[in-house]
Amino acid sequence: MGLRNTLLVARRQIGAMREDRYVVFLLALVVSMGVVSVLGARHHAASEAEQRARYQTLVERQWAEQPERHPHRVIHYGFLVFREEAPLAFFDPGVGAYAGTSLFLEGHRQNAASFSDARHSTGMLRFGRLTPATVLGMLLPLFVVAAGFASVGGERERGTLRLLLAQGATPGQIMGGKVLSVGAVALAAALPIGLVTAAFAAVGGEAPTSATRLLALAAGYAAYLAGWVLLTVWVSSRRSSSRAALAQLVAIWVALCVAAPRLGASLAATLHPIPSRAQFTAQVEEAQRGVGDSHNPDDPFFSALRDEYLARYEVASVEELPINWGGVVSREGEEITSRIQEEHQQALLAAHRRQDGIIAWLGLLSPYLAARDLSMAAAGTGPEAVEAFRAQAEAHRYDIIQRLNDLHVHEIKYENDRAQRIARQEWTRFPVFRPNPPTLGRALTDRPQSLAALGLWIAVPLVGLGLGRKRLPRLGVDGSGL
Amino acid sequence: MRSESTVAWIRLIRLEFARVIRSGGVAAAVLLLLGLGVYASWQGNRRIQAAEAATSAAETAYRDQLAYLSSIYPPTTEAGEPLYYLAFPAPQPPSRLSALASGRMAVETASLRIRLLALEGQLYEHETLNPRLAAAGHLDLAFVLIALLPLFVIAVTYDIVSGERERGTWRMARLFARPRRLIAAKIAARVVLATGLVTSPALIGAFSTGIDADGRAGWAIALIALHTLFWFALCLGVAGGHRSSTANAMILVGVWVALTFLAPAVLSLTNALLHPVPEALELTVRQRQGYHEAWDLPRAGTMESFFEDYPKWSDWIVPEDEFTWAWYYAMNHRGDQAARDASHAYRDILTRRDEWARRWSLLVPPLATQIALDRLSSADLGTQLAYQEAVRSYHERLKAHFQPFLFSAAPMAQVDWDRVPSFEPAVPAGDAPQAGLPAAAALILISVCALLPRIRSRPSPDS
Repeated sequence: MGLRNTLLVARRQIGAMREDRYVVFLLALVVSMGVVSVLGARHHAASEAEQRARYQTLVERQWAEQPERHPHRVIHYGFLVFREEAPLAFFDPGVGAYAGTSLFLEGHRQNAASFSDARHSTGMLRFGRLTPATVLGMLLPLFVVAAGFASVGGERERGTLRLLLAQGATPGQIMGGKVLSVGAVALAAALPIGLVTAAFAAVGGEAPTSATRLLALAAGYAAYLAGWVLLTVWVSSRRSSSRAALAQLVAIWVALCVAAPRLGASLAATLHPIPSRAQFTAQVEEAQRGVGDSHNPDDPFFSALRDEYLARYEVASVEELPINWGGVVSREGEEITSRIQEEHQQALLAAHRRQDGIIAWLGLLSPYLAARDLSMAAAGTGPEAVEAFRAQAEAHRYDIIQRLNDLHVHEIKYENDRAQRIARQEWTRFPVFRPNPPTLGRALTDRPQSLAALGLWIAVPLVGLGLGRKRLPRLGVDGSGL
Repeated sequence: MRSESTVAWIRLIRLEFARVIRSGGVAAAVLLLLGLGVYASWQGNRRIQAAEAATSAAETAYRDQLAYLSSIYPPTTEAGEPLYYLAFPAPQPPSRLSALASGRMAVETASLRIRLLALEGQLYEHETLNPRLAAAGHLDLAFVLIALLPLFVIAVTYDIVSGERERGTWRMARLFARPRRLIAAKIAARVVLATGLVTSPALIGAFSTGIDADGRAGWAIALIALHTLFWFALCLGVAGGHRSSTANAMILVGVWVALTFLAPAVLSLTNALLHPVPEALELTVRQRQGYHEAWDLPRAGTMESFFEDYPKWSDWIVPEDEFTWAWYYAMNHRGDQAARDASHAYRDILTRRDEWARRWSLLVPPLATQIALDRLSSADLGTQLAYQEAVRSYHERLKAHFQPFLFSAAPMAQVDWDRVPSFEPAVPAGDAPQAGLPAAAALILISVCALLPRIRSRPSPDS
């Protein structure tokens, strides 16, 4: 009996929305934007991925086909790696557009990745990107508002609310029916976008991993949109006129989806300032000065090291060492400079994480921030993916540089050092760089605030609806709101 | 007679002004926007300070490095050796106007330091920015005035006629003035509210720390004013009709979302799809290969291609069997030569993206305003390309300056470091009218089009 009433109310509301040409027009608009965004973003992501894969193959071939070379020569020749986007980056590019895509790994220095999408974009990018994630996260809530702002208030304005109550529907059944119907319309908009996304993800090579990630995305967006549906019906039931409900809901949408992310980013940057590239480079140079300069023959650190080696091998000069002293200096120097640079890099990253912390906590106030955060985590395009790439590339860099230094120490004679070469077969024995992106579980458990925020986002309007249920018949009957 | 009607007119506007500001939520919205605007101007000025700190950091770091290198190398060392390390500063001071519109400042590196080595690998270094914050979008005064202020305009005008009609006060109001006049007064009061209480104080805040006196600021202010007026024109065009307040509100908010978020996002994606940039990776790979191959090739060949660009030195013979710095830097030049075509193609594509964006943005008022403001405040893609060009020419001047020392294998003691060329910042791309005029014309034209339905029909007959 109760369920029947609820369904009746829902069917009534769906009928009303189907006749509302604005709602139908907006539904068509949102769905087409969603589908266009999947197609566009997928095409863009595919061509980017193809390019990076092509150049990665080229660079690996160039490495393997090197002529015989002195190992220190190869240290400067270095290696180029390109950051691959996650398979679902076309759905939510996350922070990918703002992180560099190509990274040059060489001896003596940690380079920063260059060529991000953002640097190739014009000022338009600041208004947002057309991606399925934007359509679901930003546009769909506004559609939910447009479809549902008059759901309860409209009945009251037309006087049909009393009629419904008189016919025996309880306030809870009415609210439930409204939530169901607005939710159904939201689902009608989200489902096509989700299906197209899933279809394209299935075509990609990593379908099994994508499936779990897609499920996580579906769950996240379902919760996020459910919150909007509940909020819309709640506000509609509280306001005396549907016009006032619309104004309030639009204001909430602007505050949560437009203002909060930018204000949050700005606050985070102000509270935890970071050095500019120029300042950062200057700090690293400063720290490296005087501590183990491998190119400075009178460096105190290397003088001490030389004495240690001479004592260990019981010889009087570096020429008599059974190993190549030049290689030793290069190897030890690399260790020192890498450590100093990594320390500074970690300090910078720690500052980034503190900034991220502010955003994470603000997610409790703006579910849009929380939903975005979870969305990029599930798509595998969050900051942790960028950082994992950087850290693994750095580990790879250090590994190949020290292998080259070891070749220098053991395979090259100290005498007439620079004239010697390593045979070309050696280059094919080096490991190739195959980064491991962070797992889904890890990415999600790192985001307790965002998960909590999404729970809160559903709980608050749900409780509000429950508490406001009893007052529904009285509200607005005498023309007054809350 | 005339003055009497002016007095009546002003009184009408004042009455209306008092009514609007007292209506629910308007005062709070004004305060909120004003607060955001003042915060954004404060942030804008902080950004300028940060950019200035970066430029001076680059210069200080250069001096420190020079002092250090001079201290560890004996004066007899060949100049080529310390020059391998020395990174010369190329600081681009920020424009004062970027307190208003910071454009792409956050993603660009404005204070590169460049070494005498191959240049292409040094031009594209990234800022230390936190990608998550960058992805969230940034808040500058331009965003408040271009994206958020229109929503306020919508909120105070969407029921300008329908509200009176729905409350049943329209007939009474008509007793005081003719409908056209009444609507004009209502709009005027709201224009005064938006520009007087929000835009002006925020702009004053942004320019409080100084302003360049070259007409750019004037154009920027004019564009913001025109953009605000466009929204009033659009609101009047929609809200002057017969629809209900709710329908007006939905249409106007829909148009706002379409113009402020959808259109830019669609255009941005189209631009990226039309103009892909594979050259970015191509030039990186080519430069690295071009330079490193030279180590394994006969030196005469490397020098040949070097002399093609610098025929002045073609009489010099570089020995095959010993290391010379002249050859070393010629190898680096070979890297840039190898990347030259790809680098040109890369710049061409970005220039095309920039021009395409400027052309198509004219159809979308918020975008036209934003892109023109970015250009006026030297924070657009074109400015970044001009900066890279300035760095290229600085690199050439440095090379020309040091080549005599390299070819003669001169000791570093011979270098007079005070006479080393210094960087000449890029001049802003396009003069002020050139940057502002198309957007201003587009805004006026689109505003007139938005008003057309109201000009042709009788103003809001109260049916």
